[in-house]
Amino acid sequence: MTEGHTTLSLSHLTRAITANGTRRVLVDDISYSFACGTVYSVVGPSGAGKSSLLRLINRLDEPDSGEVRYNDRDYRELSPQELRRHIGYLFQTPYLFPGTVSENLRFAEASLTDSQIAGLLDQVGLEPGVASADVDTLSGGEKQRIAMARLLATQPSVILLDEPTSSLDPTSTRGIEKLIKRIAEERCLVAIMVTHEPEQAVRLGGETLLLVKGRLVEHGPSEQVLNDPQSDEGRRYKGMELS
Amino acid sequence: MTEIGFVDVAISLSLVAVAFVVSRFWKVPVQKEMSLGVVRAFVQLVAVGYALEKIFAIDQIWLIALVMLVMLAVGAREASVRTKKLSGAFWLAFSSMTTGSVLTLAIMLATGLFELKAVIIIPLIGMLVSNSMNAATHTINRLYENLTDNRLAVETALALGKNWREASQRFRRQAATAGMVSIFNFMKTVGIVALPGAMTGMILAGKDPLEAALFQLIIGYMLLSAVTLTVVMVLELTVRRFFTPHDQFRPPVRL
Ligand SMILES: Nc1ncnc2c1ncn2[C@@H]1O[C@H](COP(=O)(O)OP(=O)(O)OP(=O)(O)O)[C@@H](O)[C@H]1O
Ligand SMILES: [Mg+2]
Repeated sequence: MTEGHTTLSLSHLTRAITANGTRRVLVDDISYSFACGTVYSVVGPSGAGKSSLLRLINRLDEPDSGEVRYNDRDYRELSPQELRRHIGYLFQTPYLFPGTVSENLRFAEASLTDSQIAGLLDQVGLEPGVASADVDTLSGGEKQRIAMARLLATQPSVILLDEPTSSLDPTSTRGIEKLIKRIAEERCLVAIMVTHEPEQAVRLGGETLLLVKGRLVEHGPSEQVLNDPQSDEGRRYKGMELS
Repeated sequence: MTEIGFVDVAISLSLVAVAFVVSRFWKVPVQKEMSLGVVRAFVQLVAVGYALEKIFAIDQIWLIALVMLVMLAVGAREASVRTKKLSGAFWLAFSSMTTGSVLTLAIMLATGLFELKAVIIIPLIGMLVSNSMNAATHTINRLYENLTDNRLAVETALALGKNWREASQRFRRQAATAGMVSIFNFMKTVGIVALPGAMTGMILAGKDPLEAALFQLIIGYMLLSAVTLTVVMVLELTVRRFFTPHDQFRPPVRL
């Protein structure tokens, strides 16, 4: 294992489901290599398979074929529990367990001290006082940020974020974007983030992957994929987003 | 009350007649159900009475076992009928109820608390199976609903590196409570709100009330044991069906 430099690669990752007798490919033969320190944006129309792809990477779902390699090893060599603490996943609709904010953070990492909790809250732009709040009293945006803090509590080396700013105001959104960029660079994380806002992908810089109907149709520097796409699907996606 | 015959039953029907007339007069529309209930109860109880008379006379272990098997099968069907989407729910209920009641019964027999005689064992089996059935029904239903309704909660825990057991813990606990609530209520109110059937029967048959109470206590503990064993088994067997060996949440659906 290479110390400190996380690597993640997908090869021919495929996942299909059969519903009502018809087979649907959710993730279609995706191969890609991620390097740490970079933020990767995943974009594509609704139903393109963005969430499905993230679920495969932290093994909440099992691929039908293909492989995920984490730090140059087949990810199945790690126990699912261990893998998921290395590869954190933030759900599209965040869920907090009934109880307080600090209970939620300690559910992820039991050994957290009060000051570590304050530190995590600070990272996502929340006051330390929030720690004792009951989760039922939080706003949607606060919940989303708590879920983000909880994800960081296990100190993952890969973070999979499914539209982490969907219920945030522009100021908090910028804050989270900065946080993602900063921790990706400082800790050399692989950050993969689904977004439906092309401008967000451009702001984050890094690379963008465009998914259409489960296939990876275009990838490259975010600016280029989103503003000057090379593929037909890429141009169609750009047109869709503009209209 | 010494010898009870069909004549006595006919006399007791006069009570039903009173109820019938009263409800009719005040236009409470229950006469149809009443008549049906009267006939149904008559047929079922008389049939059981005759069958038990024969079974007690034969008094063979194989026959006791057969009766128990039939009761368990009917009970398991009843327990699994509501969770249509959970494939194999019948076998799940059947094996759990069997474990709970057979194990309890075996201990009772092994310790010599009860004699292996049809006249003693069969009523016990009836109580064991019906209580296990009740517990299995509520546990399966609650767990199934809880897990399918809380997919996000379960997967969030899994995504944070918890195993399937930890991720489902809250829902297993709720299902266990649902399965055991009636036996707990029974133990709470027993003797205060109502005298339970076995005890009432013994007192009516002229037994000493303290003896009847102690006997009822033994029955109560026996049922608690059977219900607990059944619930634990149901939980273990059901929850596993919701997860793959790699701690992935995959609710079982009958296609
Ligand atoms: N377990 C499942 N059973 C049936 N269909 C599923 C399942 N999971 C996903 N799908 C379908 O797979 C397709 C891809 O879903 P996915 O959630 O990955 O899309 P997405 O790109 O994340 O979309 P969105 O932008 O709306 O979040 C959708 O059409 C969805 O309905
Ligand atoms: Mg999605």
